[in-house]
Amino acid sequence: MAEQGKGPVDTSHLYDGKVVRSSAPSRKKAAGTMKADSGIPDDAVPEVAIPNWIDAIFGGPVLVNREFVSPNKMVLTLQMGAIGSLLVLGFLTFMLTPVSGTAWFALTNIAGIGFLGLWVHLLMILIGVVSGFWGVWQRDQRAMLLSYVALILVTIRFAGSKVEFGLSFLPENEVIQKLLLILYAVFLVVYMEISSAVIRFSMLDTSIRTGEVYVMNVKSITDRYNRALGYTPAVAAVVATLTLFINFFVPLFVRILDPIAANRLEESVELTSVYGVALGTILVFIVIAAMFAINLPLRIQQYLERQA
Amino acid sequence: MAWSRKSAMFASLSVAMYLLGLVLRNQQLVTVAVVLLSFLTWAALRTAHGDVASSGRRVEEAVMDEGVELQSIVAMRKTSTSRVFEDGEIDVTLRIQNRSGMAKVLELRDRVPEVMRIKKGANYVLMEIGPKRETEISYTIETPLRGFYTIGPVCIRVQDELGLFHNEKEVQLYDDFLVFPKMEDIKDAMIKSRVPKIFTGAVNIRNPGEGSNFYNLREYLPGDPMRKINWKATARQDGKMMVNEFERDAVSDVIILVDSRSVSETGPVSRNSLVYSTRAAASLTQHFLSRRDSVGLVVYGDEIVSVDRDTGKKQLYVILTKLAGAMAKGNTPLKIVTTRIMPHIHRGSPIIILSPLEDDPTIVDAVRDLRARNFEVTILSPSSLEFEFDARRIDRTGYEVLKTERDILMTELRGLGAYVMDWEPDMLLFTALAGARGF
Repeated sequence: MAEQGKGPVDTSHLYDGKVVRSSAPSRKKAAGTMKADSGIPDDAVPEVAIPNWIDAIFGGPVLVNREFVSPNKMVLTLQMGAIGSLLVLGFLTFMLTPVSGTAWFALTNIAGIGFLGLWVHLLMILIGVVSGFWGVWQRDQRAMLLSYVALILVTIRFAGSKVEFGLSFLPENEVIQKLLLILYAVFLVVYMEISSAVIRFSMLDTSIRTGEVYVMNVKSITDRYNRALGYTPAVAAVVATLTLFINFFVPLFVRILDPIAANRLEESVELTSVYGVALGTILVFIVIAAMFAINLPLRIQQYLERQA
Repeated sequence: MAWSRKSAMFASLSVAMYLLGLVLRNQQLVTVAVVLLSFLTWAALRTAHGDVASSGRRVEEAVMDEGVELQSIVAMRKTSTSRVFEDGEIDVTLRIQNRSGMAKVLELRDRVPEVMRIKKGANYVLMEIGPKRETEISYTIETPLRGFYTIGPVCIRVQDELGLFHNEKEVQLYDDFLVFPKMEDIKDAMIKSRVPKIFTGAVNIRNPGEGSNFYNLREYLPGDPMRKINWKATARQDGKMMVNEFERDAVSDVIILVDSRSVSETGPVSRNSLVYSTRAAASLTQHFLSRRDSVGLVVYGDEIVSVDRDTGKKQLYVILTKLAGAMAKGNTPLKIVTTRIMPHIHRGSPIIILSPLEDDPTIVDAVRDLRARNFEVTILSPSSLEFEFDARRIDRTGYEVLKTERDILMTELRGLGAYVMDWEPDMLLFTALAGARGF
């Protein structure tokens, strides 16, 4: 028998009786006894994607992490549309959103540098527009998200119930003021929709061109989207108008029963204020909830099927 | 109706803006919130029109010619074959009918097993289908891995144009198919039994018996039939009666043992011990059956599944089906398998073991028992170490240590008289078998 540490190792004990271990050791055991710096390759540990709390709320990643192929005609059109609506929105935001009442206005005023508040305000609008432009053109969702946040942040301000605008020459007429607000809101929503559609259609286009999905009659599908983009904001604007002009519509119905009470309602500060809008929202959405409760969409569908 | 992430974000944003607007008494915020809510509500109303409200039926319950109907959408599928070998192709044709009087925009995905590859066409289609119209989708799938698979169900999604809400249902239309392990030609790597069976057959075994080929001369023994006496030889042997002996025609009993314990799936999905073992078993089965030998199969994992010895083409498909369904599960030791099957096998029959030789302390005992009973044991061992090392799942040091232990085990098995071959991933089955037989 060779001495320990010298010459060939004696392995005869491996063949004696039942002490022979006849299989290779478990890989798991081997892994468990290895030191941390033993050079286990990274891919030996499976990658587990743990969603963060935002992903958990929305059921998946909020931002699309995918490379797109160069934009096709549809995507280019959408990009143009998004940039157009962004420019209008930027201008409307500048017109309708005064710096007074904002947090930065209050802080700069306290510090005695009130003019800086205005600059911060303008800078935020500029950030919203520029990052939106960049996001749409580069199809970068992070920049788009920054744009949404900036454009919404500038509207958050302490305000009285009375509508105030950023530019003093804008009309004082309540109807025009409310219509301008609706126009602003519609453009904000349209911008958000078209810019997200840029990403959506880029994904679709990439999937088509990489053969993941086959689209039959692409034109009819894009035409449907274009039509929806036309009438959905219009419908939203109508519903918003009904809601915002509740101080006109409620007295209209009340007048049938009691003209004096209707006059009082028209003059009511509460009904013309933001709480009137809240009341209008409740009334309009009660009607919509009732439509869903009786499953009206399906009934309309069934009716249309029968007619067809 | 399901919400998309976009609609969820729009909804949460609008609610937050609405509440904030009320708190801050800011009409601008409230107006934006109301427009957003109205936008969402209208899209929801439009999506609710999507006509997919039923869950459909399994195809067996439906009338085949009519397909499976999901309200007014009917799906019918045809596949070119239901049995295919690995790396084969299946053509799938899916017919979609819109039986309603209204056009529908559908997103349709015919679900194929994850391991399959779409070679031609697409199983994911976005389309507008007109009223009372039908359309056909064709695609070809490649079948890289053996197993039992199902195509289906057909997932249909109706979405609003703005991508805010969707209705998603499944048409329960299924087509099953079977992928057999692929086979390699190994006709020159022969393994033959020395012990005959009573049945006559194709493989001549060099032992005397009731056959047709001359084998030897011997002295007459009482009881030998008169017609076997070789008179010329008798005359030459000075009166000693000599009789002709004939080579006994017989069929070999070849038993193939496939290790399908969970350890046999160590390595990548398409390159592991079980995949190689099943392919080898299929090739060996085809080879022996083509020689009109009798082949039996034992697959052991969490249970012992066996196919009794038989000959013919039918047996080939019986064995291929069992191999296709072999799953890496459990940890049944080889000793238990051999103890159970030994009484049923003719002594001396060749036994081919296809195993990674891992995590089984009974291998040596099992092979020793088989050899003690004069079974001819051939072990083909696809090395899972190589698979893992190639896939960079173990480092060089670990590989060397485990490789040394594996070599020691193989040497020990060779010492017991078994033909053992360490089957490396890039080696052809023929080469591995030749190595195992010492050719």
